[in-house]
Parts: sequence; structure tokens; C-alpha cells
Amino acid sequence: MDPITLGAIVALVTIVVLFSGVSVAAGLLIVAALFMVIFDGVGALELLPEIFFAKLNNFALLSIPMFIIMGAAIASTRAGADLYEALERWLTRVPGGLVISNLGACALFAAMSGSSPATCAAIGKMGIPEMRKRGYPDGVAAGSIAAGGTLGILIPPSVTMIVYGIATETSIGRLFLAGVFPGLLLVGLFMAWSIYSTWASGNAELALARVRYTMREKLEVLPRVAPFIVIILGVLYALYGGVATPSETAAVGALLCVLVAVVLYRLWSFTALWTVLRDSTRESVMILFIIGAAGVFSYMLSFLFITQEIAAWIGSLDVNRWTLMLAINVFLLVSGFFLPPVAVILMAAPILLPIITNAGFDPYWFAVVLTINMEIGLISPPVGLNLYVINGIAPDIRLKTILWGSLPYVGCMVVAIVILSIFPGLATWLPEVVIGP
Amino acid sequence: MSQSSAGHPSANPQKRHPVSRVIGMLSTVSGVSAALMIVTAVALTCQMIWIRFVLNGSTIWQTEAVIYLMIGATLLGLPYVQKLRGHVNVDLLALVLPPRGRRVLALVTLALTIAVIAAMAFYGFEMWAIAFERGWTSDTVWGVKLWIPYLAMPVGFGLYLLQLCADLIDVLTGADDPLAAGHGAAAEESA
Repeated sequence: MDPITLGAIVALVTIVVLFSGVSVAAGLLIVAALFMVIFDGVGALELLPEIFFAKLNNFALLSIPMFIIMGAAIASTRAGADLYEALERWLTRVPGGLVISNLGACALFAAMSGSSPATCAAIGKMGIPEMRKRGYPDGVAAGSIAAGGTLGILIPPSVTMIVYGIATETSIGRLFLAGVFPGLLLVGLFMAWSIYSTWASGNAELALARVRYTMREKLEVLPRVAPFIVIILGVLYALYGGVATPSETAAVGALLCVLVAVVLYRLWSFTALWTVLRDSTRESVMILFIIGAAGVFSYMLSFLFITQEIAAWIGSLDVNRWTLMLAINVFLLVSGFFLPPVAVILMAAPILLPIITNAGFDPYWFAVVLTINMEIGLISPPVGLNLYVINGIAPDIRLKTILWGSLPYVGCMVVAIVILSIFPGLATWLPEVVIGP
Repeated sequence: MSQSSAGHPSANPQKRHPVSRVIGMLSTVSGVSAALMIVTAVALTCQMIWIRFVLNGSTIWQTEAVIYLMIGATLLGLPYVQKLRGHVNVDLLALVLPPRGRRVLALVTLALTIAVIAAMAFYGFEMWAIAFERGWTSDTVWGVKLWIPYLAMPVGFGLYLLQLCADLIDVLTGADDPLAAGHGAAAEESA
């Protein structure tokens, strides 16, 4: 059987298995084992544990649990609320202050956490009720937080970017830097839409409303957010100043965030600390299991020559590189609708990367485009995780309202991808300046 | 994708078979060990940075030890995360099936998972046994005996296999309802 037909069969079987409700990691192992046994006999199974172990035998993977602990420690405190309050008090002169502060707080929180649902939950708990109280439409209140939360995987540190770096053997430091300006671009687009739609829904006054705060009120919130700002700056300095690798930086960041949570936010109790540790362990194990299993899965694909043949086949197609990019985007978008970002990246990135670079695209720029596609999946049905997080925070807003509220932000993300395609420098400029070409 | 919230892994925990309860406890012990391994990895990494950047010394074994601790944590964490229903899954197929079909589908996926994890545990054990018999060491300055990190393979996958069997017992005895499990999305999940 030629590898392309075989590839189609593997793809079909994978889809059926993954949609059956089996855990994603086990599903990948099942498909890999099945095809290895069919084409190479039962003896081939002997290799699987070795490949699994070898995939996890990578120091860079340490950064995943570390950044998760960092985010979990901060999320266990009222730091999200403090951040949001500080921004709100300082940004009152800006039109539409409240929704702007919420999105700004999402962006800042994203700079401390690598996870979207965590960002969503931390800012939304405080932000959504406050926005509704002041009369913002439910759709804007829910949609802006759902979309703002997705910044967690674009603005560094980002678990998604680490996984991409590991899957494609690209520099994680560079990937982080590549996400900075596109992240800010998205924040800007989100803010613009929020103000416009609040204004358009007949709340012109609210969109432009200003609540006055005294200087004293402005100053008193600063000490509460200062430690986290210091940690962010410290992590950034260590990462890009060449002091330490991402894994080492993440470990120190994790320790500092736990210390800040314990000392400043009085998170003394053993139960509270255990909750942070247990949740981080659960999340890390889940991701690392997928990484190991996806390693076995991609071994099977290249063992059957599927990876190589698909790359050669697409290379032989005489299509415009932008048509190719459009097709890849549609593929990623559809995958992102159904599968968790980590799984999409691990399965698709090793196959797509040679195709992308052959077509003359920058792998770091592509990482950003891929991540924005995954962000869209996080706020779209049927499995958009952030939608359910919002639903958990504000159960009285109907899922349908959250969905319609999020839709325009999906539009913002598509616009961001178009802007990035026209100005790829937005992603590639910063890494070149900081790290060099 | 769905994950039920932690702490409510089962529909009706009182009705659980004693065997499945004992296995559940083993999984928790395994999970706590995994968490402690992660904490140790954080501490070791910080110690390593301290030696390198503050004392200007060199480190020999820390990086490798941290990697093995992470692998150990991943494998020992598997049964516990299974118990917490923390392995992310996509259950679109189940949503379009009638209740009877869903139950059959749940049993089939569980059986397939058991089969593949049993293979991983078995061949993981062989991998460990060969490294142990032949006294393999890693080709680094530290040269640690490889059977020590390899031990995580048979133990982790073995306990994961037990937890999957416990889940199967729960489904068969009706202590766990596969139709109800895993349909709520939890707040915490990494993107």
C-alpha cells in the first residue's frame, strides 16, 4: 500500500479512536500499537516503552510542570483580582476603562501563567460580575474574558509554545519572544472590539465612562501587585539575559511564586498548598503523558514512511505558498475545534514543519499562527474549554450568550492572522533583536 | 474534551468493590510520590542554579537527576490522574449514541486502553530487567545505573493498569456510571 493511502487510513482510525472518549494519550498509544503490530508483528511492541522513555528524556520538559506550578500558585491567591483592581484604578482615564482593565489583566496574568483556562478563571471570577454590575452587555463581559484568557498560550511563558519547541526542536526562548507582539496585537484588537460593541449596543456613555479614583486609592493597590511584576521581570531577565535556560528559569519562577503566595497572600495551610501541588501534578502528568504517547505515535508515522511521503507529496504539488498556508490554517482550525492544543501540536507540527520551511515560511512565525488557531479552538464549540470555564464562573449567563459573545473575538483572531501574514516581522523582529538571527 | 472535577471521580463511591478501593488507595500513594518527585525536581534545579551562578561551581548529576525525576513523576502520576479522571479526552462519539451504545463504547475503550497499557507495562518490565541484568549505566559523567530510572516504567504502567482494571470493576458492578462520568469540563486544564 502506498504511504499516502496508508496515511489516510491512519488518520481516519485516529479520528475514530480519539473521538471515542478514550483519553487522548492512551488513544495515540492504541493507534500506534495497532499499526506497528499490523505492519511489523507483535515484536514491534517491544520498542514502544523505549521510545516513550526517550521522548520524556529531555530537560526542556521540566519547564512544563514548573510554569504550571507558577500559574497554579498565583491562581490560588487573589492576585488575579488585585491585578485587575490595580489596572482599573490606573486606567480610569481611558475610555471603556473596565473592559480594558479586564483585558489588560488577562494579558498580564498570561505573562505569569502558561495556561488559558487558568487565566480565564483568575481574571473572570472578579471581572465578569463587576462588568455586569456596571451594565456591560453579558456577551461582552463573557466574551472578552473568554478571549482574553486565550492570551495565556500566546504571551510567554506558554505551555503550548514549549510543546511546539520540543516537537519541532526549535528554541523555546525564541518562541516565547515571537509571541510578545502578536499577543499585544491581539489585546489591542480585543480592546477595540469591546469598546466598539459596548458603544454600539447603546451604551455609549458606559463605553466612555470614567470612575474617578483618588491618588491614595491608586497607590494603595500597588504593593499588592508589585511582587508579581518583579517576578515577571526577573523571569524575563533570566530568560533573555542568557542567565539560565527556560527550564531553570521556570523552576526559580515556580519557587518564587509559591513563596509569594505563602508569605504575602498567607497561603499557609497545608491543604491549600497540597491543592496547588495536586492540581499542578495532575495537569503536568496529563500533558507529559500526551507528549510521550505522541512521540510513540510519530515514530509509527515515520516508521511507515507516512511523514516523509506526505511532506514529499505536498512539496510536489504546484500550489502557491499562500494557498498552502490557507489550507494548513483550515486544517489546524478544524483540528483545534475538536482536540486539545497540545495534542494537535504534537501530532501535526513534526509533519508540517518541513513543509512550512520548504515553502519559505519562518518556523517561529508559524508557531504564532498555529497558536492563534489553537486559541480560536479554545473559544469555539464543541469543546472550547474557556467557554465552559466562563460558564462555571457565571452560571446564569447562558452558554449561547457566551458563545455569541465570543464569536466576534474569533473574528479578531482571524484578523490577527491576516495582519501577521502581511507583516511577519511582528513575530520575527523581537527574537532577532534580542537573540540575533 | 472533558474532565470531571477532582474529588468526585465516581458516581457512587460507597458501592465500590473492596478490590477497587484498595487499588484506588495505591493510586493515591503513587500520585503523592509523583507530586513529591516534582517538588524535589524544583529544589534540585534551584540548588543547581545556586551552585552554578552564585558559587560559580559546576554541577555533575543534577540535570540528569531532574530529568529522571520528571519521568518518574509522569509515570507514577498516571494511575492517580486516571483515578481523578484527569486524562483529557474527547467524547463526541458517545454523545451521538443511545445509552446502550454508550455503555458498550465505554467498555470497549476501557478494554483497548487496558490492552495497550498492559503491553507498555510488560515491555517496560523487560526493558528494566535487561538494564538490571546487564548493569547498564548512562553514558554521562554521572553514569547512573539505568535500572533505577527505568523502574518507573513497569511500576508506573503497572499501577496504571491496576487502576484501569479497578475502573472496569466499577463500571461492571455499577459503582461508576460511564454515561455520567466525564461530561463536565473542569476549570483547570492546561491549554
